[in-house]
Amino acid sequence: MESFWGSVKLMLFIYALAAAISLITAWMIKYIFVVIRMQKSRAEARKSAKAANAPTQGGAAPKGTA
Amino acid sequence: MPEIHFLHLFQGIATMVASDPLIAFARILLIALGISFVYLGAKGTLEPLIMIPMGIGMASVNAGVLYLSTKTMGTIFIDPIAAGPEKLVDVLQINFLQPIYTFTFSNGLIACLVFMGIGAISDIGYMLIAPVRCMIIAIMAELGTMLTFPLAVALGLNYKEAAAIAMVGSADAPMVLYASLLLARDLFVPITIVAYLYLSLTYAGYPYLIRLMIPKHLRGIKMDQKTIPNVSPAEKITFAIITGTVLCLLFPVAAPLFMSFFVGVIVREAGVKQYVDFLGGTVLYGSTFFLGLMLGVLFEANTILNPKVILLLFLGMTALLLSGIGGIIGGYIVYWTSGRTFNPVIGIAGVSCVPTTAKVAQKEAHAANKFAMILPWAMGACVSGVISSAIIAGIYVTLLQVPTP
Repeated sequence: MESFWGSVKLMLFIYALAAAISLITAWMIKYIFVVIRMQKSRAEARKSAKAANAPTQGGAAPKGTA
Repeated sequence: MPEIHFLHLFQGIATMVASDPLIAFARILLIALGISFVYLGAKGTLEPLIMIPMGIGMASVNAGVLYLSTKTMGTIFIDPIAAGPEKLVDVLQINFLQPIYTFTFSNGLIACLVFMGIGAISDIGYMLIAPVRCMIIAIMAELGTMLTFPLAVALGLNYKEAAAIAMVGSADAPMVLYASLLLARDLFVPITIVAYLYLSLTYAGYPYLIRLMIPKHLRGIKMDQKTIPNVSPAEKITFAIITGTVLCLLFPVAAPLFMSFFVGVIVREAGVKQYVDFLGGTVLYGSTFFLGLMLGVLFEANTILNPKVILLLFLGMTALLLSGIGGIIGGYIVYWTSGRTFNPVIGIAGVSCVPTTAKVAQKEAHAANKFAMILPWAMGACVSGVISSAIIAGIYVTLLQVPTP
């Protein structure tokens, strides 16, 4: 029969390792999500800034026409 | 006209009369058990998708024993111990289920096919609502998978057998099948049957555990629906490809399972409707059907006479019970750390078993408060449970099975 105490130690090691990897995976997911969200909002902000700076129809006349 | 003996004509009865009384009794018992599985499956008490094919398989294989030669008895269903190319080619041409066993079962392919289907029907977006909280619950819900391991060793199983039966606590039957094939090939049939049998009972048993451990006012806590983010398919695909690759890198031994699950997820999120229908329908239900049928025909009288089966029945139940308790404790931990806004019933969904435990959680919360909607969080915990179970299976198999240089 294999050692009971050996199995208890192994169980504690496996549980700790599994918990660490699972939590790292969860944090990874969380940060991937945060980064994607940040990039998305930056892209949207850039887009709206561009739209605000762009000349509107009927606004300033093009150069050289005056 | 040749002389006709009644027993030569009806060989199922002849082999029963000629065999050891204990074997004959076990055959009769398994025929009765198979019939009752079909009945309870059709009635809805047990999971019909597995129990109906398993029951008919058990009843048929134990009834259909015949003389293969003048001295040997057997069936023309399957020969799980056929080894060597010549013998294997022989049985592939005789036993009608042998091709399915040899090419999909003994190499774990069927578990991977089920996983592809599970991936195709799982919305991992739910996990992104609260990934860390869901994972805390999932880790706690592995309590049975962990504590059953030393318990099984104390009761006389070796490390590999103990790890294989402990995996029942992960409540993920394809994972149990995969791990037991790699760790305890001699016991994979009874272990997988125990897993499927108990998992089909979780729907009936876990509600009592929830009511026992969580008072009604906590079961009815409403979750804030505004906190559910709108996750785009591109975000889910990014998550799936990164997580899948990292997990394969960490545990190559469980890489087929990880790949299968995440390919299902990616196909779903990519919106390839034809593949989603194929994996989530034909592949998932076809594999589940053959899985049930194969488990049934593998459950012959000799299997039940193995003295370890009683032990496996006890350990399997202990594993699932402890995992349920652990999941609810996980639910309480998140409830306390979230400022008492989290419904602790969600904890039971950490016991994987997609989507049964999530449905159980929602049903219990709804019974306590008809405005309590916790299914998205429960599905998140459920998907986290699949990932944490695969990680534990990977660690067990790597530590106990894989040769190192």
